[in-house]
Amino acid sequence: MQRNRPPSPQTGNVLRALAADPARWRYGYDLGTEVNLKSGSLYPILVRLADRGLLETAWEPSLDSRPPRHLYRLTGDGRDFVAALTVARSDRRATHRRNRLSEA
Amino acid sequence: MMPLFFVFLLAPIAVAIALYRRNPRRFLDGPTEDVPLRLLRWAIGLLSPQRAEWGQAMLGELGHLDGRWRRTRFAISCASAALVMPPWGQAAAGLWAMVAITAASFAIYADLTVHYQLGAGGWFGVGGWIALTVVLLICVGYLLAASALLRRPGIALPGLAGGLFATLVGLALSGFTAVDQVTYIPAGWHRGVAVLAVPAAIGVASTLWRRDPAAGRRVARLAAFSAGLLQLLYATVAVAILGGGGPPDEDGGFTVRGTVTDRLANNIVDLMVSTLIIALVGWAAAALTGYLVRRSPTPAADPFQLRGR
Repeated sequence: MQRNRPPSPQTGNVLRALAADPARWRYGYDLGTEVNLKSGSLYPILVRLADRGLLETAWEPSLDSRPPRHLYRLTGDGRDFVAALTVARSDRRATHRRNRLSEA
Repeated sequence: MMPLFFVFLLAPIAVAIALYRRNPRRFLDGPTEDVPLRLLRWAIGLLSPQRAEWGQAMLGELGHLDGRWRRTRFAISCASAALVMPPWGQAAAGLWAMVAITAASFAIYADLTVHYQLGAGGWFGVGGWIALTVVLLICVGYLLAASALLRRPGIALPGLAGGLFATLVGLALSGFTAVDQVTYIPAGWHRGVAVLAVPAAIGVASTLWRRDPAAGRRVARLAAFSAGLLQLLYATVAVAILGGGGPPDEDGGFTVRGTVTDRLANNIVDLMVSTLIIALVGWAAAALTGYLVRRSPTPAADPFQLRGR
């Protein structure tokens, strides 16, 4: 069963970072550095996003003796999800602003 | 005491031989892999098979990181994630059972500390609380070690069954009553069974069952932790039932608080010693079984039968 709970602030940051350039494949370490998340927090988020079909993964072929790297980018559903999240967020802000004005 | 002496004498030698046989170059050229890589390799081995790709992703990323501190931080963080990353499957049930057993032991121990005011005794009037903290640390350490073993595929069930088996044999030897628990002093063949036969049986059986000495060694370690925690619960309940009463009938000059403290301290020593013995002897038996099975020749195929196919 898929939960419709809003994502955590950390997950939101990861989603927004991936949505900034949705066509580009990203490395895990660089993504973690960009959103200021340790790998121990980042990978569980990536796993959950992939499980929900919001994240696409691929392997970058290894050019030297180093191991291949995992790459990430948003799927179509992932982009829609981020768009919906952005709309919901701006709606919440607008409602909050209206409430504060009416209280004043 | 003789079997104990042999166990503690031979175990470090056996560990050194096993390490040398695994990688002789380690002793000649120093470590071939750095600590972060080894830590991460160990941690991703705990992941369930459907998360194996994510473990490889972590390893791949580590392979492109330079700088000892950077690699270490990355590996520690990934290892902490791998330790708790779901799904746990059957391992979750095993861990919850062990947590429940440990929590029960600790709660009874804490209740005895308060009831008999053990907290007021000992060093600078806080010895009882220090002992309670030590028990908590030991139990948490056991649980952490057990949780890592429980996550390995095919280890949980035989490991917990081995722990239950060792506990039941120990209780059958000592007797099941509370008095038996506080007065039991193993001697003669009892010691041989508890120290050598049972742990060796666990190591041999698990290696033959899983057809893998590494799995046998892990089963022996998990059996040791689970048996230690189970025995601690039983022995703590026994102290709670008896309190300061029960044998010896003649007052040896101990106060009630002193008697309870002494019995609880014995339980902790038993916990550590029995765990160590089961783990070491079981480990050695598993390693030896694996070696013998590997060396035993496989029956040659009948050439006439092969030709007839």
